[in-house]
Amino acid sequence: MTALPRPPAPSRRNLLRAGLAGAGLMTLAACRSAVEHSRSAAADVDGAGSPRKGGVLSVAAAIDITPSLLFAQSANVLVQRLVFNTLTRYDDRLQPQPELATSWQVAPDGLSVTLKLREDVLFHSGRRFTADDVVFAVRNLQNPARSAQLRSTAATVTDFRKNGDFELTLVLAHPVSNLFDLFEFMIIPDAATIEEAVAGTRLIGTGPFTLTERKPGSSLSFARNERYWNPGRPYLDGVEIRVIPQAESLLSSLRTGQTHLSYNVRGKDAALLRDDPKFHVKQYDTGSGAYYIGVDVTAEHVSDKRVRQAIAWAIDRDRLVQQALGGYGSVSSVPWPKSSPAYTEVGATHYRHDPERARALLREAGAENITLPFAHATEPGPTAIAQILQYDLKQVGIETVLQPADSPTMQKQLISQTMPALWSLSHGFAQLHPATLAVSAYPFNEAKNSSHFSSPAYTDIVQRAWNRSDSDSPETKALYQQITDLLLDEEFVIDLAIAGLVEVTGSRARGVTLNKFGYLNLDDAYLTA
Amino acid sequence: MTTATLTLKSPRVRGRHLSGLLTWRGLTGLALVGAVALAGLLAPLLTDTDPNAQGPLALAGPSADHPFGTDDLGRDLYSRVLHGIGTDLTLILTAVPIGALLGCSAALLAATSRWADLAVQRAFDLLLAFPGLILGLAVTAVLGPGRWPVVIVIALAEIPGFGRQLRAGILVQREREYALAARVGGSSPARVLLRHVLPNAVDPLVVQTAVALSLGVFIEGAMSFLGLGVRPPEPTLGSILSQSVAYLTTDPAFAAAPLAATTALVLGFTLIAEALNRGIRR
Repeated sequence: MTALPRPPAPSRRNLLRAGLAGAGLMTLAACRSAVEHSRSAAADVDGAGSPRKGGVLSVAAAIDITPSLLFAQSANVLVQRLVFNTLTRYDDRLQPQPELATSWQVAPDGLSVTLKLREDVLFHSGRRFTADDVVFAVRNLQNPARSAQLRSTAATVTDFRKNGDFELTLVLAHPVSNLFDLFEFMIIPDAATIEEAVAGTRLIGTGPFTLTERKPGSSLSFARNERYWNPGRPYLDGVEIRVIPQAESLLSSLRTGQTHLSYNVRGKDAALLRDDPKFHVKQYDTGSGAYYIGVDVTAEHVSDKRVRQAIAWAIDRDRLVQQALGGYGSVSSVPWPKSSPAYTEVGATHYRHDPERARALLREAGAENITLPFAHATEPGPTAIAQILQYDLKQVGIETVLQPADSPTMQKQLISQTMPALWSLSHGFAQLHPATLAVSAYPFNEAKNSSHFSSPAYTDIVQRAWNRSDSDSPETKALYQQITDLLLDEEFVIDLAIAGLVEVTGSRARGVTLNKFGYLNLDDAYLTA
Repeated sequence: MTTATLTLKSPRVRGRHLSGLLTWRGLTGLALVGAVALAGLLAPLLTDTDPNAQGPLALAGPSADHPFGTDDLGRDLYSRVLHGIGTDLTLILTAVPIGALLGCSAALLAATSRWADLAVQRAFDLLLAFPGLILGLAVTAVLGPGRWPVVIVIALAEIPGFGRQLRAGILVQREREYALAARVGGSSPARVLLRHVLPNAVDPLVVQTAVALSLGVFIEGAMSFLGLGVRPPEPTLGSILSQSVAYLTTDPAFAAAPLAATTALVLGFTLIAEALNRGIRR
């Protein structure tokens, strides 16, 4: 028997060729899949695909919530609409839309409003939501201990008339132009657990998610509310809010996909992500990021309004927007965003960078070469802003001593009116009906503001703009103009720029929205595959 | 007799320190520290640009006008780094002697009685139990950020190091024959300690000083990096580094100069400490 001839063994050269060819094919395949992946990611960002159930959305936040200020607009905006609901929500044209209230009827004299409520709403504890919960929510905001910015509007409600469990009439002391701002702002809490809520140990609401775990300073975890009243919502299994104070780490968490969404990316970082197909950058015209210098008008030197006006002329707002906000914002001498009925171009550009004029005003006021304390938050963004302001003020002869403090401390000082002569922060409330800013926001509140400013003229104009049921008639707009003129003249709040909120989402997150107060709404949010 | 001991010892010790420094380690360390320190001390002569002057040209790369480029607020990085070195050295050269003085005083107190020794040792343990940054956070929480909190934190962090080194030296020296002879000769315990034992126990402190200086650079940098250090806009190496981190991917040149200066200082002081240590042990 003859042995079968053995096939010739492959030569080393052939092996090398085959190896190179294989490597080449694999490289081509990898390139192709990378291109396809990139295309599909780009397509995802463009909004292709239908909502998908499941998944946990991870949100990166720069600071932890402050439970004691749960009923104020502050660091809690990420949780307020996750756990709770509001009575109504504004659409893009500032028209109220149903949420827990299905319909409403404002009396012709503006002295009452009748609300019809949803009958299928359960709290996370299993208890049914009724008109009594709305009564409690209003009274809760009337409580000074809650430090709610819209307390004055809530306080106009003097009586409650229940027509069954799901119909309620609120009786007002006088007509108010910002009633639906209150309904957009006021979350409906569970009366039985209210003290636990402000202690941060338990949050019970009617919202799409239930709080399952809170690690102070670190994270908050939420699970889907299986009995949510909105059919088929939420799509997500859960939400995790991760507290990442360092701006670089926060950005890195988004880049690496550890988090899907953030509102705390610095403007200059957002500018870098704008052209990256893996991210979607959206700017909200909420006016909640209006940067300003607050002035304690009882402090030495700045009690003279000429000094305050000099500060307003001294600041190079354009440079501030470019260098500190990465171009995300617009310079403005007034608090109103462009969408506000109180906005005018003339008002927004009233103060420009004019150091000579600032020096002249300081000479006139006899306040040359003065030194003032200047508080700012310790985070890198506010520190950069403070340094820009400090430099501009120095150029006109105002030395400032920077006093860094953490954000919760700044917030408490603002509420308790214990700020130094100058401070820089950002304010909200200008994106709604203009009267809301002047009766609610801590820096502007005519009755009690952080600047200790009071004047009969300011109170009179604000009250006249607020105590009416219409909000955009010519007479009302004339009152808004008077408020603007007074703010520009008195300058107890020196507005610098309006930035709005910048939302950065990774390629997988869809359907995320904010209400006019910046409350995060994830009813329709989902994660793509 | 004891006086003779001291006069004989000093030149020998000085020679050992010098011979240690004249090695490649010592010379490299001296060159690094000397170059950086000289740049910091001569900052007003090397640049006439105000380190805090801002301008519209932000994050510019190195150029003839701005050899190290500009930072995110349009400030000249060359000027800021040079003045930052000056600030760092001022802080460290203030804090380290204070820490050394307090640590050595505590060690001398510990040598007076067993109870004092116990109390001082536990106090050192307490200080050592706090990592430098936790100590920094605690001090800043009370005093707020600024120059003095940095000086206090560095000084507090250095106390146990100096105290323990000196205490160990005293424990060894006071059992030596010359100390016994002094006691037999009628010298009081305080005289024996201060006149005879102390001068012979300070050798390791020279090395400890070099170690403490490098630790000082590190603590200042870390505190400024975390926003707990000197208040802005005054430049320090740590604060410039902290600012630059946000731009590492887009503008790496921003971090290069402060990083190089900090590395040179820490490395230089460490090499000097190592060289002195080897010289003494010879």
